[in-house]
Amino acid sequence: MGKTLAEKILASHTNDGKASAGEIVEARVDLLMVHEVLGSRILPILDEMNFKKVWNPNRVLVVNDHWAPASDINSAEIHRRNRNFVKEQGITNFCDVDCGISHQVLPERGLVVPGALIVGSDSHSTTYGAFNAFSTGLAATDSALILATGEIWFRVPETLKIVVDDEIPDRVMSKDLILKIINDLGPDGANYQSMEFHGSTIDAMSVGERMTMCNMTVEAGAKCAPMPINQDVKFWMEDYAPRKKWKEVSVDADAEYVDELRYNLSDDPLEPTVAPPDLPTNGKPVSEVAGVPIDQAFIGSCTNGRIGDLLVAAEILKGKKVRDGVRLIITPASKATYMEALERGIIKILMDAGGIVTNSTCGACVGGHLGVLGAGEVCISSTNRNFRGRMGHHNSRIYLGSPATVAASALKGVITDPRSV
Amino acid sequence: MSKDFGNISGRAWVFGNNINTDQIIQGQYLTLLDYDEMAKHTFEIPRPVFASKVKENDIVVAGNNFGGGSSREEAPKVLKHSGIGCVVAESFARIFYRNSFNVGLPLLIIPNVGKLVKDGKTVTIDLWKGTLTIKGDGDVIHGNPLPERMVEILRAGGAVPWFKKHS
Repeated sequence: MGKTLAEKILASHTNDGKASAGEIVEARVDLLMVHEVLGSRILPILDEMNFKKVWNPNRVLVVNDHWAPASDINSAEIHRRNRNFVKEQGITNFCDVDCGISHQVLPERGLVVPGALIVGSDSHSTTYGAFNAFSTGLAATDSALILATGEIWFRVPETLKIVVDDEIPDRVMSKDLILKIINDLGPDGANYQSMEFHGSTIDAMSVGERMTMCNMTVEAGAKCAPMPINQDVKFWMEDYAPRKKWKEVSVDADAEYVDELRYNLSDDPLEPTVAPPDLPTNGKPVSEVAGVPIDQAFIGSCTNGRIGDLLVAAEILKGKKVRDGVRLIITPASKATYMEALERGIIKILMDAGGIVTNSTCGACVGGHLGVLGAGEVCISSTNRNFRGRMGHHNSRIYLGSPATVAASALKGVITDPRSV
Repeated sequence: MSKDFGNISGRAWVFGNNINTDQIIQGQYLTLLDYDEMAKHTFEIPRPVFASKVKENDIVVAGNNFGGGSSREEAPKVLKHSGIGCVVAESFARIFYRNSFNVGLPLLIIPNVGKLVKDGKTVTIDLWKGTLTIKGDGDVIHGNPLPERMVEILRAGGAVPWFKKHS
């Protein structure tokens, strides 16, 4: 029987070269990413373990991204601890508060290559699946064990195959597609599973568009989302990881799947999709929620804060003004994204339209800072979660949409179809 | 290993489906470095009275997909810190499932349990038999046996002592 991408990549990281769905395997991790959870939770666990040295200081990325720069004394203390740990352990990959969001800076530093096994102390670590890698989120204790040994056990996931064909229309984005797919699956529709995307739509996507898709698979419960490689990933590797050796992983024709979903965008054209509170899987066509008044419009996060996202927003906002009484907040996914947007004049367009551009951080998405919501406020957001209280007060409400939908809504002051502006 | 997982008895706190980790402990409290402080905010959004009323060995009972969302290990940690003896649900999100055993908080999967147990009832869990008994009713509800790896980790007292034994 053939193997899925998840099985193949995991198998290449075990001692006996084997991994089949349902089995428990011990696997060698290529890279561990940890953020503030290092200083707050992992270090005390390492003390308990009598930890001395990280297994390989070149295979760890430490990022201060969630509350960057420090939003309060506690986060400042966590950042301080992380800096000390990086120094003591001689960790070579460190992104301090000036750098950006982990899921964006990790690929920018060339730290993900096709076929890699990557673990992050963050649920959205599924994002690196866009690069033909197996990547998943674990938490503090498992991260501590990996720091000490470079190994961890996995239950090899079953795989759900999703095939998407044909073109995404203008002003409709990969965010709309993933919101639709996870709506079909439900919040646990892919629990414990690998989501494996195929088809001409996925193959034609940019790296950024693919990252958005893989990022949000966790909202349907997925463990990982390794995609087959495409041309844009190969270009990315030439640009960002020119000296790294890698080999693409392709799926076997007779691989075994638990289920298969098919989408044909010619037969059933994709529309802008918005997920009303309080679940990311609540997605529905924008027409069903159009007209809902908003207080804040947010573009940013590991889901949709990349250059392509800012560009789409700038196209919609160019020469126009955000509606009075609405805050448009833009948080680029990384410093590199911010710099590129500056050089291309995107930042000026966004600010001329009335937008507030912040430094790169997880910030508002986790209700941390730079865009926290007050009681009763409504936000249309390009982020990944609309759980109650996620971005601030427990009575605030979050609608998830694409950067195009967020920009169009900022102009009108109500949730708006981006094709109508 | 002092805890008797064969007999965990306490008040049932019953929740619905899709209780995510933001509902267990909100993101705004994650920078708190002291679990005593953090645990005061457990279930603050869905059940504001929980933190002040919960007692040692109480049981959380929920519908499906308990613990989805953020990977934060603080979620099972604050439950354990609050005294919760076991979480019983119809299904669990994968990261929460793993994190709970890692920190020594037992979980049990029982089909339909969210509909069978009323909030406030006293229930008893036998983790090794995979059963929940409702006091007064005498009903014994059977769940799924724990996977072998999770039993190993739990018997060791969590993933760190388990690791020490195996390294």
